[in-house]
Amino acid sequence: MIQKVSHRAWAIIGAVSVRTKILGIVLGFIILLGVGVMVQARYALSSTMTAQLEEQSISVSRDLAARATDPILLNDLLGLHDLLGETLANNPNVRYAFIVDPRGQVIAQTFEGGFPLDLLAMNSVKADEHHHTALIETEEGLIWDTAVPILDGKIGTARIGLSDASMRSALSTLTAQLLLTIILVSATGVLVAVFLTWILTRPIMALVVATKSVAKGDFTPRVPRWADDEIGDLATAFNAMTEELAHTDDLRREREGLRRQLMEKVITTQEDERRRIARELHDSTSQNLTSLIVGLRLMETNCAQCASISTATNLRDVASRTLDEVHDLSMRLRPRVLDDLGLAAALERLAHEWQARYKIPIDVVIQLKERLPGEIETALYRIVQEAFTNIARHSQAKSASLLIEKRGDTIRAIVEDDGVGFDADANQGERHLGLLGMRERAELLGGTLLVESTSKQGTSVFIEIPLNPQPAAFDLQSATIP
Amino acid sequence: MKKLFALLFVILLVSCSPIPPTEVAGHVNLNDLQPLPTPEGYEAVPLRVAVAAVISPKGTVESYTPFLSYLEEKLNRPVELIQKRTYLEVNDLIEHGEVDIAFVCTSAYIQGHDTFGMELLVAPQVDGKTTYNSYLIVPTSSSAQSMEDLRGKVFAFTDPISLSGRVYPTYLVQELGFTPEEFFGRTFYTYSHDEAIRAVASGVADGAAVDSLVYEYAIARDPSLAEKVKVIHRSPDFGIPPVVVSPFTRPQVKADLQTLLLAMADDPDSREALASIGVERFVMIDDNAYDSVRALVGVIPTSVVQP
Repeated sequence: MIQKVSHRAWAIIGAVSVRTKILGIVLGFIILLGVGVMVQARYALSSTMTAQLEEQSISVSRDLAARATDPILLNDLLGLHDLLGETLANNPNVRYAFIVDPRGQVIAQTFEGGFPLDLLAMNSVKADEHHHTALIETEEGLIWDTAVPILDGKIGTARIGLSDASMRSALSTLTAQLLLTIILVSATGVLVAVFLTWILTRPIMALVVATKSVAKGDFTPRVPRWADDEIGDLATAFNAMTEELAHTDDLRREREGLRRQLMEKVITTQEDERRRIARELHDSTSQNLTSLIVGLRLMETNCAQCASISTATNLRDVASRTLDEVHDLSMRLRPRVLDDLGLAAALERLAHEWQARYKIPIDVVIQLKERLPGEIETALYRIVQEAFTNIARHSQAKSASLLIEKRGDTIRAIVEDDGVGFDADANQGERHLGLLGMRERAELLGGTLLVESTSKQGTSVFIEIPLNPQPAAFDLQSATIP
Repeated sequence: MKKLFALLFVILLVSCSPIPPTEVAGHVNLNDLQPLPTPEGYEAVPLRVAVAAVISPKGTVESYTPFLSYLEEKLNRPVELIQKRTYLEVNDLIEHGEVDIAFVCTSAYIQGHDTFGMELLVAPQVDGKTTYNSYLIVPTSSSAQSMEDLRGKVFAFTDPISLSGRVYPTYLVQELGFTPEEFFGRTFYTYSHDEAIRAVASGVADGAAVDSLVYEYAIARDPSLAEKVKVIHRSPDFGIPPVVVSPFTRPQVKADLQTLLLAMADDPDSREALASIGVERFVMIDDNAYDSVRALVGVIPTSVVQP
């Protein structure tokens, strides 16, 4: 239960802003203190005034009883009436005064035009008592009624009623003043709290803005150290962290640039090497093999009865197969058609050969009206080649498709199959390395590569390469390597 | 947040309401004014007894209550005590028959007897005598030896027509060749003899003339007074303040009262009633016992006697 309540309380308190919290603390304390002071002050004033009223009631009635003795004995009713009038006039708290003779007759009183007869029975005093006070409830509030015997009760009783009106008015005045004070102090408190909040939240808001900038990769903002307190320390720590982050980021970018440069070089070198080997194989080795085959055929024709004809035929077959293999090797290393006829022709030929070899039908759609820059053609060719290799090796696909199109300034390629698929996020050794290489090639040209694959749902590889790549943020020329 | 404010508001309201009283005797509507019931009359016609303000009204009640109770019991009818501030007011009551019996001062009797026929009933006997004196008293610390030494001082008179408290000291001053206004620095009336003694004892007055009976009675009751005041002059004997009846008092009532009062000393039940008014017994007295006083009063001009 308590836990529930505290959870709920925290849910409310935690959800409001720091400004509201500080405001709440300030106002809460002011109101709590104010109410406490008010309750205490009212209680103290009320008890003091009650005691005073009771004492005053006794002293006034004792005084009246003493002064009334002679007028009563002399039957001076006018004098008695005047005496009661004086008592009333001189004591603002006295609501009424009257004298009762021993037979219970009211012989003088201060009510005009009658007398509340119920009042008579409300209080009485014995002849040997000093006084007797009773609390009477009236429509005008409480009345302390004190009865004092006159001349030991032989000639009557003096009765005085003291109203608590003055006490109530004092209490309401006090309450009004305290309430006004609370309101004024609260208003001041709100102003102070707003000022405090501003002082406290200003550096925090600056920190929030700076943090958002850092999150976006901008390490330049620095927050000022407003005050020499915890928040000031936080600002200093934040600045130190940002500097460290900026430094680390610089290093990372530098290394990234170097790595990319290296990768480009490796890939370029690899392509050049492949092209050279392919040309060598095509131009030199293939020519030699062709010459060998032509020579062997001449040998078969010229010596029809030669015993070694079958041997020559066998050798020509071997040479022919070797020539095919060299063609194939040369083709795979660096298809000449890519350099000579462009990406579309090269990929169509690759697909054709791949389909022939692996017996998987492939649907090829290539919508390119003109040749693309050489590096893009090479990259796309290699990426599609790797994708095809993966399909052949892992997918168990029934069919596959290749789409390449130009959309605005972007070349888009999609390779899909209907195979078993795989978990694109998991690291899976060689295949993962292959995917990494594909992505690397795309990213080197400022493009992206996305693999979507789910188990038994096939695999899609999306490639996007911009025709006019943005210059890399990292400037290799100005970078210094520590 | 709203709940929190509601809670604070409730606390505020509770703290604003008055503290509940511990016990309340009852509820009265103070503005529900009704006519007071008229006082019930006495079952029997009360005997109205007036006592002149020789001593203060309070002292009179204390002294005369046992005596009045005795009368009530013996006469088997209620007795009402009537007091007035001055001797003259009591005389008015007697003159118009508004009281049946009265204890009056000597000079008040002479005035009443000579103007409207106030009748002597009995006289109290104190220390075997039916006379009394006027004492000139001063504070114990005073160096005054006689009236002469009180010149320019503050003097307290008792009642404007009191023999011992007003007429006799005025006579003394006249003997010195002055009026009281010329002779004394300031004078005032206390309207009773015990108050005059108190005025001297407390130093409010430098001197006063008082009834010797009241003085002795007061000293007997409060011996500490003797340390505060002293008597420096004693007048010749005057006829004692009598008990009188109105000319309107029925002869039967007068006779019954006279019989009762004269026999009082022989009734063992009356001891407290007599002791509290300082009287040994009541005796018959003749009007000529007051002739010496008449002579003295005649010397004092009426304009001075009248308040």
